[in-house]
Amino acid sequence: MNRTVLVIGILITAAIVALFAFSFGRDPQHINSPLVGRVAPRFALRAVGTGEVIDIESLRGKPVVLNFWATWCMPCHAEHPILQQAARALGSDVQFVGVVFGDTEENIQAFIRERGEAYPTLLDDKGKTSIAYGVGGVPETFFIDRNGKIVAKYEGPLSFEMLQTYVRKVLS
Amino acid sequence: MTATLGNFLILAALLVATAGSMVGFAAGCSGTPEGLKWAQRFAYAFAALMALATIVMEAALLSHDFSVKYVSQVGSRAVPAWVTFVSLWSSLEGSILFWGFILGLYIAGTTWVNRNQHVDYMPYAIGVWLGCAAFFSFLIAGPANPFGSVSPVPLDGPGPNPLLQNHFLMIIHPPFLYLGYVGMTIPFGFASAALLRGRLGLGFLRPLRASLLLPWIFLTVAIMLGGWWAYEVLGWGGYWALDPVENATLLPWLTATAALHSAIVMERRGVLKGWTVTLVQASFLLTILGTFMTRSGVFNSVHSFTQSSIGPTILVFLAVAILFSVITLAMRIESLEAEGKLESAVSREGTFLINNLLFVLLTFTVLIGTVFPLIVEAVNGRQMSVGRPYFDAMVVPIGTALLFLLGVGPALPWGRPRRDEVKRALLFPLIGGIVLAGIGRALGVTNVWTLITLLFGGYAAWVTMAEMWLPLVQRMRRGDSFGTALVQGQLRRGRRRFGSYVVHAGMVVVIIAIAVSSTMRTSHEARLSRGQSAKIGSYDVTFIGAETLAEPHRQSTVAHFRVMSNGKFIANLAPRMNQYQMMREPIGTPDVHSTLTGDLYLSIMNVDVGTQNAGVLMITTPMVAWIWISVILMGLGGLVALISRP
Repeated sequence: MNRTVLVIGILITAAIVALFAFSFGRDPQHINSPLVGRVAPRFALRAVGTGEVIDIESLRGKPVVLNFWATWCMPCHAEHPILQQAARALGSDVQFVGVVFGDTEENIQAFIRERGEAYPTLLDDKGKTSIAYGVGGVPETFFIDRNGKIVAKYEGPLSFEMLQTYVRKVLS
Repeated sequence: MTATLGNFLILAALLVATAGSMVGFAAGCSGTPEGLKWAQRFAYAFAALMALATIVMEAALLSHDFSVKYVSQVGSRAVPAWVTFVSLWSSLEGSILFWGFILGLYIAGTTWVNRNQHVDYMPYAIGVWLGCAAFFSFLIAGPANPFGSVSPVPLDGPGPNPLLQNHFLMIIHPPFLYLGYVGMTIPFGFASAALLRGRLGLGFLRPLRASLLLPWIFLTVAIMLGGWWAYEVLGWGGYWALDPVENATLLPWLTATAALHSAIVMERRGVLKGWTVTLVQASFLLTILGTFMTRSGVFNSVHSFTQSSIGPTILVFLAVAILFSVITLAMRIESLEAEGKLESAVSREGTFLINNLLFVLLTFTVLIGTVFPLIVEAVNGRQMSVGRPYFDAMVVPIGTALLFLLGVGPALPWGRPRRDEVKRALLFPLIGGIVLAGIGRALGVTNVWTLITLLFGGYAAWVTMAEMWLPLVQRMRRGDSFGTALVQGQLRRGRRRFGSYVVHAGMVVVIIAIAVSSTMRTSHEARLSRGQSAKIGSYDVTFIGAETLAEPHRQSTVAHFRVMSNGKFIANLAPRMNQYQMMREPIGTPDVHSTLTGDLYLSIMNVDVGTQNAGVLMITTPMVAWIWISVILMGLGGLVALISRP
């Protein structure tokens, strides 16, 4: 028995198993947003339909679910009814806000007419707010606490359960 | 009914593989011919059961039997029949079943070819193969079972991964990859048998080498097809993104290439036995590591299946397989003693040895670059990525050194050559190198590494052609006609040698094409309204208009462009964006005008059918087509070498 080969081999096996076992459960798609833990970047955008300008600063005091989406985004279509349902159920505790970028007001209005709207939808027509939030694709959702600090970011369409989990986090 | 039948077949396969593996090992220990016969029967039975299970699944897919779990996950009445057929390998569970099917074919085929030969080794080899088969059967029967039943039965399903539906290369790339990956089990079984038997005779080297060469050919073709697919689909104009799973396919290819070379030295000089066996085992272990990378959900990759529960099971198998290899190596490596010795470092076998060390160094370099982000995150929780600068800095010099050896190695004689022999062998090919580098310089190549690649590439091309030509010349001097010399000297008697040099020629072409195409590409982004043009190189690209096409399984936005050069019509190109229901982002399909000198590649960045505006990325890349051509050379060369005589 060649002990050197045996010892080196066992060490390599142990290292590989330890490294990969540690990595289980890690979501490789998830990238920590540098904004998490910081105050949400300020914006003031016009709401589609009413034309009212909403300033993020004005929402302080109540947790905010800030959802970036677009009408051309298929997963946003799937996510829309979940957000609407959640906004109706949790609207007294949390303020839901939608921000649309890379889209037109006509498209958004047609979408809302067809599928309903339970919270304000803001148009980021120059995309500056989306850039400030580092949005890489839609949908993306930020969870902001009552002090205006970003608690979490989620990339991709939310399930109702996932949304509830994050809302609980932002409320606590 | 279908689900029950499928489950029965898989459970039977698990039983047969487990029993066959035990019988194989027992027969290896006892040496009874009857034991070997039974092990062979179990091998055939496993293959038959896996084939039947795969046929059952294909029938369920094609008949849209949504009561079967896998069909309900990947089936759809909206997709074309060919997409339904290839859905077998579009998702995790089906692809593992496909793996089992291919493994069955390999095991049964190799067992049959060697049914009356190598009786000392075969029981152990069959034991190892069926041990692996038992693991994959367990995976299919348990954690990755495609034959679950669904109730209530859905009327339709979502269809397979959109990436699979987006390009025909996705139909052929995965099967080639599986043929390469799964095939590495066979040389692993042979190498393990040699270790368990405690000897590796030259007679057994032939099946070992052949069993390694076949999956090597498939893996070579699969890697190239994967690059071609990335080029044709992903829209950034490149063919290798250093994605962890791409790297994972390269790892066993590198060690297998090294093993094919060390086997030649072993055959010629009787040395490097333990080293060759280690490389063969490593090639198999790296395929399992690659499988883990793709299916554990640990790595972020365009190829990854979603997070699944089979990661831990594969990790356990990987650990067991490494430990088995380590223990057998530790037990028997000293019994595989060298029968000869290396006489001189400046010889062909000396360069083979350096070539092997470089291949192993390259394997470690790629492996460390791939897993380093995991190590950093495990140690200090920081997220990081290892990108092109690391790989360029590490891989380019090693790759260039290997290209140098590709020329110098075959030029040098075996044994202990005299100094004048070495000088004569090495000096002449310099002409080829200098000429090619000169041509490159004249055509505008300025990158130093590319010029070095051309110099070494020209050198290696000269040597390769000379080595291919040599047997012809010798036969023609003896009075044979060119035709007779070609058929007798190259295709009948010298097939293995000839095939190897064809592979070398393909390798020279691919390395040069990669160096030139990656350093000399130009790109230009333009935003065009209908009728507007943009210029890149000698091409004038005019935006003709955009349209939306609706198909049952996707919606596409197609932008039409007319390409002219110096007032002459070249091509109409139509890159598109395809939106599939299950994808967050649309998938682009670029359009390419390809010639032997270079490609014009158009990819849409954004397009608005309403206002008829399009943002287009235009890329010109020289020599890309040669990368795809080289795969034909390497594949055919490998096949010629495979069917060589003993």
